[in-house]
Amino acid sequence: MKPIAIAAGLIAALAAAPMFLDSYGLGLMMGLAGYVTLATAWALFSGPTGYVSLATVAFVGIGAYCVAALSEVLPYPLLLLIAAGIGLAVALVVGLSTLRLSGVYFVIFTFGLAELIRQLVTFYEINVTGTLGRYIFLGITPAQIYWQLLALGVVTMLLRWWIGRSRIGLALKVIGDDEVVASHVGIDIARTKLALFAISAVIMTLVGAIQAPRWTYVEPAIVFNPTVSFLTLIMALLGGATRLWGPLLGAVPLFLLFEWLSANFPNHYSILLGLLFILIVFALPKGVLSFVEQMWGKARRTDDGGARS
Amino acid sequence: MTALLDINGLTRRFGGLVAVNGVSFTVARGEVVGLLGPNGSGKTTVLNMISGSLKPSGGDIRFNSEKVSGWPAHRIARKGIARTFQLVRILPSLSVAENIAAALAFRRVPLWGAEADAAARELLARVGLGGRGDESAENLTYIDQKRMELARALAADPQLLLLDEWLAGLNPTELRVGIDLIASLRERGITIVLVEHVMEAVRALCGRCIVMTAGSKIADGATADVLRDPDVIRAYLGASHA
Repeated sequence: MKPIAIAAGLIAALAAAPMFLDSYGLGLMMGLAGYVTLATAWALFSGPTGYVSLATVAFVGIGAYCVAALSEVLPYPLLLLIAAGIGLAVALVVGLSTLRLSGVYFVIFTFGLAELIRQLVTFYEINVTGTLGRYIFLGITPAQIYWQLLALGVVTMLLRWWIGRSRIGLALKVIGDDEVVASHVGIDIARTKLALFAISAVIMTLVGAIQAPRWTYVEPAIVFNPTVSFLTLIMALLGGATRLWGPLLGAVPLFLLFEWLSANFPNHYSILLGLLFILIVFALPKGVLSFVEQMWGKARRTDDGGARS
Repeated sequence: MTALLDINGLTRRFGGLVAVNGVSFTVARGEVVGLLGPNGSGKTTVLNMISGSLKPSGGDIRFNSEKVSGWPAHRIARKGIARTFQLVRILPSLSVAENIAAALAFRRVPLWGAEADAAARELLARVGLGGRGDESAENLTYIDQKRMELARALAADPQLLLLDEWLAGLNPTELRVGIDLIASLRERGITIVLVEHVMEAVRALCGRCIVMTAGSKIADGATADVLRDPDVIRAYLGASHA
């Protein structure tokens, strides 16, 4: 009962945050909630399977563009539903055609996918609608955006916790360890991967759709910016993509660090980002959580040794 | 009575190489059949086609009279064919019990939760790993990893068990234990096809043997007869010994 009470209290406190924050603070919280959700959704699929996806921004962008393109003709809740539907459809098509690829080929494909969708949208906008950017005028306040992102983040965490304890969670772990064994114990690898890829993609699409009104103006280069995919990836890796709390613990410090870097070193931001990326992969390949556990285990072992001698 | 496994004209080509060439045999329910032959004769390729890791280039495989050749491995597994691998394959990031649970959870009649825990404990006890379910699979010794792999195959509740050199690399004491273990499975009525080089095990376990060389079947019969067959001796030891 206790952890549930703590979690509920924490969520309530986070939900109350907009009442105590200025608009800069609220903006930070929105960005945080967005990235925590993205990193958790990314880890939902990539953590157990080990498939490194750089398609995050493809789905975020699809969500944002759906809202931008349809905000003047459809009511807001319907927009979210349609965005989720399109995200799901794209994820299924992409998943069916690519989840047979392994390792580096999958990484490259997903990176290419985001670029492909960006170019397609750009092509369509220039040649069919004759514009490049779109304005979004929706009467949604920053606090409302924040609450939606918070709710989506909580749902994503719960979903990940539930999947981790379910048969599909075990199936994913087995697939991550050895696909040959997985298929020989009766696991439908293609279907399992596809289901998780789709769930993860729908959440990412919703993050994009929910955040879109905040940007007011969107164009392909902004909403399909590959940096979003890299940031999501590095956050999940820093915290530990196989742990429930890993992406959260990675996303919070990194997001704040990125904000600080981009405010203070706008010209060297990308270089610093790249260096940080390399550092994390080299120093903490399994993430902070498992590093801490290792250190903790080591400390305890030396304690025991001391007690015996 | 129809055979449990009925293989007809099974063929597999890798580019220009014919690894398995028109092999036919049947396995009756309850039989323990040895699949013998020199290295590279196509034994493992036959097992891989039965279990669905490889698709046949020709011929067909019937299991319980149902044509299963060409099916994906997970469908074949759910029909009741389980296997172990020539090079032992464990799930290193999972515990020993989870390795077994993985097979229990996805078989035709799945087990999950408390039922699965109990079943996993029982299976581990049966292969001599009782009480070690919480250990990391990665830290097991080679023989214990093999035991665990066997328990995982049994967890699938198979009608047909395929063992690919399960006894290879064991020391003489372990070998005795291993042979007894497989014999105990035979007594439980599990049908077994085993690829094996350890002749002591073949003699002790297999009622019947099939011998392959260069992708073709050259002998099929009672173990004692097959092992005396001049063609078989020539295939293994060269012409001067025949």
